[in-house]
Parts: sequence; structure tokens; C-alpha cells
Amino acid sequence: MARPLRVWVDHHRCVGNAMCEALLPAVFRLNANRQSEAIDPAGDAEAKILEAAENCPVSAIFVEDAQTGTRLFP
Amino acid sequence: MVTLPDDMFTADVMANPYAYYGSLREADPVHWNELYDLWVITRHDDVVWMTRHHELFSNAVFRNDPRAAYPAIDESDLGLYEYVRDYQADQFIQHDRPEHLEMRKIVHTYFTPRAMETWRPFVQKAVQELLDAVEDHGHMDVMKDLATPLPVLVIAQMMGVPPADRSHVRKLAEKLLYIARGEHDRMKPLTEGMQGMIDYVSPLVEERLVNPGDDFISVLASGEKKGVFTRHQVLVNTSLLLLAGHETTINLLCNGTLAFMRHPEQWALFKQDREGLAQRATEECLRYDPPVKSLQRLATRDVDLRGKTMRKDDRIRWFISSANRDPEAFVDPERFDITRDPNPHVAFGSGVHHCLGATLARVEGQEVFKALAERFPSLHVETETLEYQPSITFRSLKSLPVAWS
Repeated sequence: MARPLRVWVDHHRCVGNAMCEALLPAVFRLNANRQSEAIDPAGDAEAKILEAAENCPVSAIFVEDAQTGTRLFP
Repeated sequence: MVTLPDDMFTADVMANPYAYYGSLREADPVHWNELYDLWVITRHDDVVWMTRHHELFSNAVFRNDPRAAYPAIDESDLGLYEYVRDYQADQFIQHDRPEHLEMRKIVHTYFTPRAMETWRPFVQKAVQELLDAVEDHGHMDVMKDLATPLPVLVIAQMMGVPPADRSHVRKLAEKLLYIARGEHDRMKPLTEGMQGMIDYVSPLVEERLVNPGDDFISVLASGEKKGVFTRHQVLVNTSLLLLAGHETTINLLCNGTLAFMRHPEQWALFKQDREGLAQRATEECLRYDPPVKSLQRLATRDVDLRGKTMRKDDRIRWFISSANRDPEAFVDPERFDITRDPNPHVAFGSGVHHCLGATLARVEGQEVFKALAERFPSLHVETETLEYQPSITFRSLKSLPVAWS
């Protein structure tokens, strides 16, 4: 059983590059402002979500262990 | 309405783009320029909206714009312009989705913020060596002695270009910059630069296809093996990254240094807390006098904006220089304030075409400004008159003489 994650996108940073949505459309989706939202933190494997976070060109994606609060990215 | 002559290529506009585009932003932010047959967009919110609606504004400008080059070129050079169009059209930045996404994926991962951070020690060492070389002179030309050699050295290292070839690459890059200039006979140096780049990078690409390494040319060459790039696209994009990987940073370093020198109180503030302010100061340099002034698109359908209708296939140019000084987006926008936060400038654009090398440019800017403040705290500009390259795209000083004691 995969551990639950808390995933969010900082909209002060997000520039709508949309690589996260392209990589993991089940987890990230652009909103009406064309900024990314984490719509389903359980939408893909943890390793894939961390990879998407790393590929954010402006480091706008944050990932935590939802139970312990441990920061997983960055 | 606008009282200045409506021409983006005049000497006045090149010297000070902020007055001309600022007056347009106030009077007519979605402006039809008769002379060059294009829309001029100057508001921050419009630029952000347009960059994020890439499906409405195509990047495939050279492939799909049927109009003549502007400003006009010699009639005898029309054949050369076709060569330019074919060359430019193969750049990945001149593509739209879905092709753009597949091409960007090939190069995107190489430039992640974390990957670029690993280059910071290399950048620091290179900056120190360049400053060592001029320290005893008491003066330098920031453009020639620091702002040009540093980014050329870094991108050449990333791409595995031998040190002995760097000056050749820079000479070719200077010819490629004619793409954004207004001279009627500019096609000759431009096409010489393009052909020179193809000739130069061809053997490097061929070698990396056989013996891939961890350099960036190997990354591009892998795109051919995956069927995403043709060989010509690999060659053109290798040339593009060699150029874009340094020309923009050159202008960040020069324009940023000049902004500090013209605002001594900000320079004094920065010297008190270099580490603490380097990040925000570099963002403010990017906002205040951005390296790239404007970018062009083609409308993919009729689009209404502020009571105007941009028709399908119309040419559009949006002005980062103006958006970054929009009072609707920034408090006191004409003020150079290295503590500004938040700073939602659009120096790197936004949306799916957001600058691939943004983090690298930031690292180089931060390290240069810190090192200058540490080693040459008495730095000052040594000239009354500054000249800019007559480019519609790049905000580029010809030289920036400075001295220290």
C-alpha cells in the first residue's frame, strides 16, 4: 500500500509550463489561469510524482508525506 | 494617441525602448503597427495571458508567415531569406504542440533547477578566473571581459565544445544575431552564420551519435535516435542552444551591472548582504532591463483583446520590456528595487515555451553580481554614452566600460 502524499503547486511560482500535466495528467491539471493544480496526489506512483516535481522548471511543486509531514520534494 | 514615430527600429527606440513601449501601453495596449504589419502587445496581463494560451498564438512563425521579412531586405537576397526560413523553422522553439512537447521533452530534463545547481561551483570558479585576469588593470569592458566569455564558457562546457573553438562559436553567434536587426543587407552575414554553425556542429553531432557522453549535444543527438528530431533539426537546435545558451545571459550580466551602477544606493545595499539579496536582486535585474525585449507569434484564429480583433494569421509581437514595467503589475515599476518581492516579471516568458535555460541564467547572474560586489566594491561606469545593438529582440549593449580602485 503506497503511503498517502500531500502534493501542491505554489501559484506565486507556477508559470504554466505544463510539463507536469504532460507527464502525469492524472495528477496535475492546468486551471482556468493556466496554472497547475494537483488534482489527485494518489493519481500515480510516488516516484513518478517526485520526477514530475523535479522537472518543474520553476520548482513550484511540493511533495510531502501526508501522515508524517516529512518533505519529500524539494 | 501615440505621438512618437510608430517605428520600432529607430535609434531612439533602440536607445530607450521604455519610453516608446510605455506610451503604447498607456494609450493603445493592443496596437496595430502599419509599418511592419503586426500587432504590438505591451501590457503585463495580456502578455501572460497570451503566453499561456499557446494554442491561439503559434510559434511556427518562420514556417507559416507568408509575408516578407521586415524591415525590408534587398531583393537580391530573397533566396537567402528562404534559406533562413528553412533553418529557423527547424528550431524546436518554432514548433507548436504536439510536436513542441515531444521536442522539449528531449531537452527539458537536462535543465532542471536541481541539475543546473550542480553547475554553480563551475560558474563560481569561472567568474573568479575572469576577474583575476582583469583585477590589476583597474578597469574592464564588462561585455568583452566578463559578460561574453562567462556564458560562452559555460554553454561550451555543457555541450562539450573544445575550448579552442569557443571564439569561433562566438563569431558565428554574432552573425546569427542579424536575425533580429533592421539592415537591408543583413541576410548575408546571417546566412553565413547559419551555414557556419551547421558546418561546425555537424562533425560534433556525428561523433556523439556514435559515442554518446553526458554532454548536451549527446542529449540532442538522442532525439534523432528516438525519431523526434531529423538530422537537420539536431544541427539547427545544437546551434540554437549554443546561441541562446549565452546571448541572453550576456545581456543579463551587462544590463544588470549597469542597473546597479546607475542606482548606487541599491549597489550599497547589495554589498551589505550579497548572499541574502543575490536571488531577488537578479530577478530585479531581469525585470528592470530584460535581455529579451520582444517575441513574435502568429494568431491561429481570430482573437478579441481589448476591443480589437487580431485576425487569423496576423503577426503579433509582445514586449517583455514593457510588460515588466507595467504599473498594473508592479508597484513603482520605474524604480530599480533589489528587494522587490514578489516579482512576477516575464523576462523568461511564461507557459509552455518558458525559457529552457532560465535557471542557468539565474545562477550565472547571481554569481557574477555577488563576485563583483565582493571583489570590486568601488565599481563604477567609465563612460557618459552607451550604445545598444540595433536589435528588436535583444537588449544588448555594445560595451560597458567600468573601473574600480
